[in-house]
Amino acid sequence: MLKITNIHKKYHENEVLKGVSVTVDKGDVVVILGPSGSGKTTLLRCLNFLDRADQGEMEFDEYHLQLAGASASEVRKIRQKTAFVFQNYNLFHNKTVLENVTTGLTIGRGVEKQQAIEIGRKALAKVGLADREAYYPSQLSGGQQQRVGIARAIAVQPDVILFDEPTSALDPELIGEVLAIIKQLAMEGTTMVIVTHEMRFAADVASHVIFMADGNIVEEGPPEEIFLRPKEERTRSFLRRILPPMEYNI
Amino acid sequence: MDINYQFLLKTFYLVLAAVPMTLNITVVSLLIATPLAFYLAVVRLRPGKYLRRLISAYVTFVRGTPIVLQILMIYSVLPSFLNSICKGFGWEINVFDWNPILYAYIVFSLNTAALLCEVFRSALGSIDKGQLEASLCAGLTSWQAYRHILIPQALVVALPNICNITVNLIKGTSLAFLMTVKDMTAVAKVAASYGYNYIEAYMDVFVAYVIVCSAVQFFFNFAENHIGKFRLIKQK
Repeated sequence: MLKITNIHKKYHENEVLKGVSVTVDKGDVVVILGPSGSGKTTLLRCLNFLDRADQGEMEFDEYHLQLAGASASEVRKIRQKTAFVFQNYNLFHNKTVLENVTTGLTIGRGVEKQQAIEIGRKALAKVGLADREAYYPSQLSGGQQQRVGIARAIAVQPDVILFDEPTSALDPELIGEVLAIIKQLAMEGTTMVIVTHEMRFAADVASHVIFMADGNIVEEGPPEEIFLRPKEERTRSFLRRILPPMEYNI
Repeated sequence: MDINYQFLLKTFYLVLAAVPMTLNITVVSLLIATPLAFYLAVVRLRPGKYLRRLISAYVTFVRGTPIVLQILMIYSVLPSFLNSICKGFGWEINVFDWNPILYAYIVFSLNTAALLCEVFRSALGSIDKGQLEASLCAGLTSWQAYRHILIPQALVVALPNICNITVNLIKGTSLAFLMTVKDMTAVAKVAASYGYNYIEAYMDVFVAYVIVCSAVQFFFNFAENHIGKFRLIKQK
C-alpha cells in the first residue's frame, strides 16, 4: 500500500536519513525503534511531508511521486490519506474537543457538518471521551488530550495513522490509557506506523519492527525476531540498555 | 479664570458633530492598514531576504519619525509629486483640488500598517508551529490553517496591542488639522479662535476624546473576552 524507497534527508551538514526504505501493507502495525537522533521521527515526518526529504520515492496506492519534488496538491492528497498523532498532542487550542475531531472532516475534506459531528462523536466514544466534547483542550489532562489527538486521527478514516512518540510527553500514570487505545486500534486492523520508546508495548502490538540507528535501518523483522533473536550487535546493545532480559509472550 | 459656559456647551456640540470625521479617518485607515499589515507580517515571517529587509526598513522608518513629520512630508511632497506625474502623462487632474482627507487616509494608513505589522508578526510568531503542522496533517490547506486555526489564536494575543494602536490612531488624527481636515480638534480650535476661548475649547475636546477612546477600549475588552473564550476558561 505504502512504499518509500531510498529516502535521504540532511539538515545542513548533518545527514539524518541515509537511504532508508520502508514498506507498509494494509493492516500492518510497523513500529520504529532506535536511540534518539537515529532519524525515526524525521522518517515519520517525511512520510507526510512535514519535513521535506532531499531524495527518495513514494508509492502510495495509485500515487507514485518523488519526495523532493512533490507539488503542493500532491502533498495535500497524501496528507488527506494519512493522519498524524503528535508527541505533544498539538490539539487546536481555539476549538472544542468535538471541533478538534471534526475540523479535518468539515474544513479539510468538505464533509457536511452534521455528518462530521456524527463521525466525530463516534470517534470520541471510541477513545472514551464522549462526555468531554464541549471542553477545550486546556481543560483536559495530557492523557485525555492525546486520546482526543487519536480520535482526531481516526475520524478522518485515513489509510495509515502515523504516531510520533505518542506517550513520551505523558506522566507514567497516563501512558496506559493511551497505549490501550492504540492497542485496540491494532486489533481492529488499523494500519499504523508508530515511533515509540515503550518496548513492551512495541512487542505487543507490532506486526513489523524496524530498528534504526544513525540514519540507517540496522535490522527489521517480526517482533519476536527483533526482541528475542536480534542478529545485529547494535540492536542487541540497544535492547540490553533499554530492557531487562524479557520474555516475549504472545 | 472665567469660563464661558455657554460657549463651552455650544462648542461641545460642535466637537461631537466632528466625531464622525475622526472616526471616519480612523476606521478607513484601519481598514486599509490591516490587510496590508497582515501581508507584511506574513512576508516577514517567511524566508526570503530582500522583501523582508525592505519591510523591516519601512517599519524602522515609520517608527523612527514623529507622525507630525510624516504628515508634513506627505502633505507637502506627495501632491507635488502626483502633480508632476499627472503632467508627465498628460492627464488633466488637479491633485491640489483633492479632498485633504485623502492625504489623511494615506498618512495614517501607512503609519498604522507599519505598527500593526509588528503586532501581527509577534502574535503569529507566538503561536506554536505544531498548530500549523497539525492543521496541515488534518488535511487543511495552509490558507485554511491560517483562517481557522492560526489567526483566531493570534488575534487573541494581538488584541490588546491592536487596541493600543487604535486608540493612538484616534488621538493621532487630531494632527489632521495640519492637512486642513476638520476633525474634532480642528473644529474646536476654529471655534475658539473667534473669541479667544481656547480653555473652553480644549476642555471640550478633552472630554470628547476621553469618551470616544473609552468606548473603543470597552469594545476591545468585549471582543477579547468573546474570541478568547478558550483561554479564559483556562484561567478560571
